Amino acid sequence: MSNLIPTIGIEVHCELKTKNKVFSNTLNTYGEVANTQINEIDLGYPGTLPKLNKEVINLGIKAALLLNCKINKIMHFDRKNYYYPDLPKGYQITQKMTPIGYDGYVEINIDDKTKKIYLEEIHIEEDTCKSIHEKDKTYLDFNRAGIPLLEIVTKPVIENEKEAVLYLEKLRKILLYANISDVKIEEGSMRCDLNISMKEEDSKTLGTKIEIKNIGSISNVASSIIYEKERQKKLLLENIKLTEETRKYDEKSQTTVLMRKKENKNDYRYFPEPDIPIIEITDEYINAIRKELPLLPDELREKYKNLNLNDIIINALISNKELNDFFLKLFEEKINLTISANIITGDLLGYLNKNNLNLSDTKLTIENFVKLISKIESKQITSKIAKEILNEILISDSSIEDIINSKNLKVLDDTDELNKIIDEILLENKSLKDDYLTKEDKTIKYIIGQIMKKTNGNANPIICSTLIKEKLNN
Amino acid sequence: MTNYLELPLLEINKKLKNKEIKVIDLVNECFYKIEKNKDLNCFITLNKEEAIKQALYLDNKEVDNILFGIPISIKDNIVTKDLKTTCASLMLKDFIPTYDATVITKIKEKNMVIIGKTNMDEFAMGSSNETSYFGSVLNPFDKTKVPGGSSGGSAVSVSSKIVPFSLGSDTGGSIRQPSAFNNLVGMKPTYGRISRYGLVSFASSLDQIGVISRNVYENALLLNVLVGNDENDLTSSNKEVIDFTRLINKDFENKKIAIPSFYVNEAIDKKILDKFYEIIEFLKSKGFIVEFVDIEYIENSVSLYQIIALAEASSNLARYDGIRYGYQTNKETKDLDDFYKTNRQEAFGDEVKRRIMIGSYVLSSENVDVYYYKALNIRKKITENFEKTLKEYDFIIGPTTTTFPYNLGEKQDDAIKSFFDDLLTIPINMAGLPSLNLPIGHFIGMQIISSKFNEDKIYQLAHFIESNRGGINE
Repeated sequence: MSNLIPTIGIEVHCELKTKNKVFSNTLNTYGEVANTQINEIDLGYPGTLPKLNKEVINLGIKAALLLNCKINKIMHFDRKNYYYPDLPKGYQITQKMTPIGYDGYVEINIDDKTKKIYLEEIHIEEDTCKSIHEKDKTYLDFNRAGIPLLEIVTKPVIENEKEAVLYLEKLRKILLYANISDVKIEEGSMRCDLNISMKEEDSKTLGTKIEIKNIGSISNVASSIIYEKERQKKLLLENIKLTEETRKYDEKSQTTVLMRKKENKNDYRYFPEPDIPIIEITDEYINAIRKELPLLPDELREKYKNLNLNDIIINALISNKELNDFFLKLFEEKINLTISANIITGDLLGYLNKNNLNLSDTKLTIENFVKLISKIESKQITSKIAKEILNEILISDSSIEDIINSKNLKVLDDTDELNKIIDEILLENKSLKDDYLTKEDKTIKYIIGQIMKKTNGNANPIICSTLIKEKLNN
Repeated sequence: MTNYLELPLLEINKKLKNKEIKVIDLVNECFYKIEKNKDLNCFITLNKEEAIKQALYLDNKEVDNILFGIPISIKDNIVTKDLKTTCASLMLKDFIPTYDATVITKIKEKNMVIIGKTNMDEFAMGSSNETSYFGSVLNPFDKTKVPGGSSGGSAVSVSSKIVPFSLGSDTGGSIRQPSAFNNLVGMKPTYGRISRYGLVSFASSLDQIGVISRNVYENALLLNVLVGNDENDLTSSNKEVIDFTRLINKDFENKKIAIPSFYVNEAIDKKILDKFYEIIEFLKSKGFIVEFVDIEYIENSVSLYQIIALAEASSNLARYDGIRYGYQTNKETKDLDDFYKTNRQEAFGDEVKRRIMIGSYVLSSENVDVYYYKALNIRKKITENFEKTLKEYDFIIGPTTTTFPYNLGEKQDDAIKSFFDDLLTIPINMAGLPSLNLPIGHFIGMQIISSKFNEDKIYQLAHFIESNRGGINE
C-alpha cells in the first residue's frame, strides 16, 4: 500500500440572525425559559401551515453572494420525513432539490498560496427542537424549533486539518461580518459535521466515507481529523474493510466514537413541500441585496492599509467585530481616524479586556467618542486626560464637558502659572540653561516632562514649549 | 317544535330583524332536531352550552348581516378553539385546539352559531363515512344506505334539516359526492380560494374547504364570507374577493358547455346518465351549445390521486406520534420506535394505515421517480388540458357520482373500489378547479365546473338550472 491520504468534506449548520423563526412569527431567541417562544406552528399542531420569513430568503441570498455561489432563481422547499421526538411535524422543511445557492467557493491562504475550497451547495432549513437528556428522562425545548438554519456543504476537497481550520475560520468571519449569523459555537449557533475518507494518493476513487456529527468547535474539528485519519489508516493497513458509519467526537478522550452503522440507511422520502409555493427570485432583487453587501475581512484590511494603520491595529480591529463596526461608523464623522483607531485598539480594548466586557455593555456613544477625539486633535486635552475621560464616558451618561468640569480635567494653559512652574524647574536644575545651548530639543522635552510631573500631565505642551523657548532664548 | 330553520334564509333573516323570532329559537330547534335524529350519528361533538350562550348574547344585538344568528355545523377536521376536533379518529379523540381555523374566525365575525362538529371518514379518508372511529352515519332518506363521504356528517346535518349550512372539505370529492347522495348543493371552490389554515391536512395540494347548503343562492351567500387571502396560508390566493351572487338571474354572456366523453363512460349507472342527458336536452333547449370533448389523461386521475394524495397524507399524518398531543398507549413500550408504532397502530383505523403505507411506498427513494414524480407530470398535463378546454368553453359539466348510495358495509372491505366513488370528482381536484354539485334527481347530482376563480359563473348556471327545472322530487 502506498501513501494513504484523507479526503474531507464539511457541512456547517449555522443559525441565521433573524428577528423571527423561519416558518412562524415566533421570535428567534436564545437562552429564554424553555417552551416560552413557541406557537401552534412551531409545535406542529393539527391544521397549522408554514408561513415564510422573507428575512431568511434575504440572508440566504446574501450568503450565496458572499460565498460565490450561483443562485437558484426558481426554488422550492422539500420535506425530509423521519421520526424523532425533536421533530414536531414528523418532517423537516428543508431544500433538497433547489438549494438557494450552489457551486460556490471560499478562498483560504495556506503556505502563502491561495486555495479555493469549493462548495457543493448552501440551503435553508428549520432547526429541530432541543432535547435535554437528564438521567432516564428527555426534556424537549421547542424554543429552538423553527429557528432558521443555513447549511453550507463543501465538496470533498479538503486535504488536512489545517485547511479545515482555515476554511472554518474564514467562513465564520464572513458569516459574522455580513450579519448573517452570530456563529457562536458555544450557543450552538454553528455546528459542524465532517465526512472523512482515506484513499491512496494516486487513486481516483474515494475511500469509505465516515461521518463525524455535531462537532462543537473549530479546534475539535482539527482534533477529530487528526484522530480519525490515524484510526482509519491503521485499520486499512491491517487490511480491515471499512463500512460507512456515523461517529461523534469525544472531547474528553479526544477520540471519535461510533454512534451507528449506516447499514439501515434512513430513507427520508423527500418530496416538494406542498404548503409553500415555488419562490421566484428576480435579478433586480439579487442586485439590490448585492449593493448592500458589507466589507469582509480581506477588504477591510485593504481599506485600513490605505489609512496607514499598522498591522497590529488592523488585526485588533478585524478580530473584534463589535469594535470594528464602531470604528466603521466613525468614517462618516470628520475626525482623525488614526487617533480613533489608536484609542479603540489601545485604551478602549484594554478596558474591555480588563473588565471582561463587550462594547455593548458600556455606555459609550458615537457622539461622545467623536467629541473626545476632536478634543485630542485640537490639543484641548492630552492623551492622559483623554484616557481618564474615556473611562468616565464608558460608565456614565454625562457629557464630555461635564466630566471635564467636574473632574477639573482642563488643560493648564494659563501662561502666568506655567511660567511660574518653569521658573521653579530652572531654579532646581541650574545646568538646564547650558544644556539648552547645545541640546535644544532634548532640553525642551525634558523640561516639559518635569512640568507634566508637577501638573499631573495637565499642562498644554505646545504652550509650555513656547514659554520655555522664550525664557531660555532671553 | 318550531320549523323556522326550514324557511329560506332571507325569510329567517327578516323574522330575526323583525324580532318575530330569536336566535335562541333557532338554536333550540337545532338541538331538538339533533335529539330526534340521533340515530343518524351525524355529530361527533355538540357545542350546545356555547351555542345557547352565544344565542342569548346575540338576541341583544342588532341583526347586521344575512348570516347573523344562523346555525351551522362544522366538519370535524376544521379546528375550533376550545371545542374538540377529532378528525373522527381515536388518535385525536380528546384533542382540544388552542386556535380557530381562519374560516371559523370568519363565520364567528358574522355571528353565525356553531352547533357542533360533524362526523366524517377518519382524517377525511373514505367516501362512505364508514371509516369514522365514531361509527357510520346513516343516509336520512334511506337508513340502510351510506350518506357518502368523507363529509358525510356535514351533508346529513343539512339534509336532515338540522342546520341550513355545513362546512366540509373536499380532497377528491368529499363535499360533492355526499351532497349528491343527500340531494344538496355542495361547492368545492378553486384551490386557494379559501384559506386552509386550521383545516387538518390530508393532501395539502388538493384539500379545499367548501360549503354544503340546501340551495344555490344560499351556498353563494356563505362562500362570500369565507374567501380571501390569508397570511397564514401561503397557498391561499390573493385574487380579488367578489360577490358570488352577482351573476345569479343575469343573462349569460356565453353559452358554450363541454362534456368530457369520460364523464359519460360505461362505469356510470344508466339511470344517472339518463337524468344527466335530460339536463343536456334542457340546456340545449335554452340555447346552450353543448359539445363532447376529450380531456386527455383524466381517466388516470384515480391512480394519480392514490399516488399524490396518499404521498402527501403519509407525511401530513406523521406528526401524530403521541408525544405532544393525541393518543398515547397504556402499554409498556420497550423503546422509542415501539412507542411510536404502538401509538399509531392502536389509534389509526385500517383505511388510514393502508393509505399511509401506500403513500410511504410511493415516496421511498426507489419508487419516487416512477410513481410520485411521474404522477406530478401527468397531473400537470391534466391541468393544462382542462385549462385548454375552458378557454373554448364556459363550463364543463358531468355527473357527480357513478352510482347511487350503496348499502352500509357493502364496500367497506374493498380498498380499491371506494376510490372509484370519486372517479368523476377527483380530476377537478387535480386541476384545482371550482366545481359545484347540483342535485338533479333523487340521489343524483351533476357537477358544474368552470375556470379557476369563476365560482360566480358556476352559481349563475347552477341557479339557472335549479330555478327553471323545479325541485328534484318532481
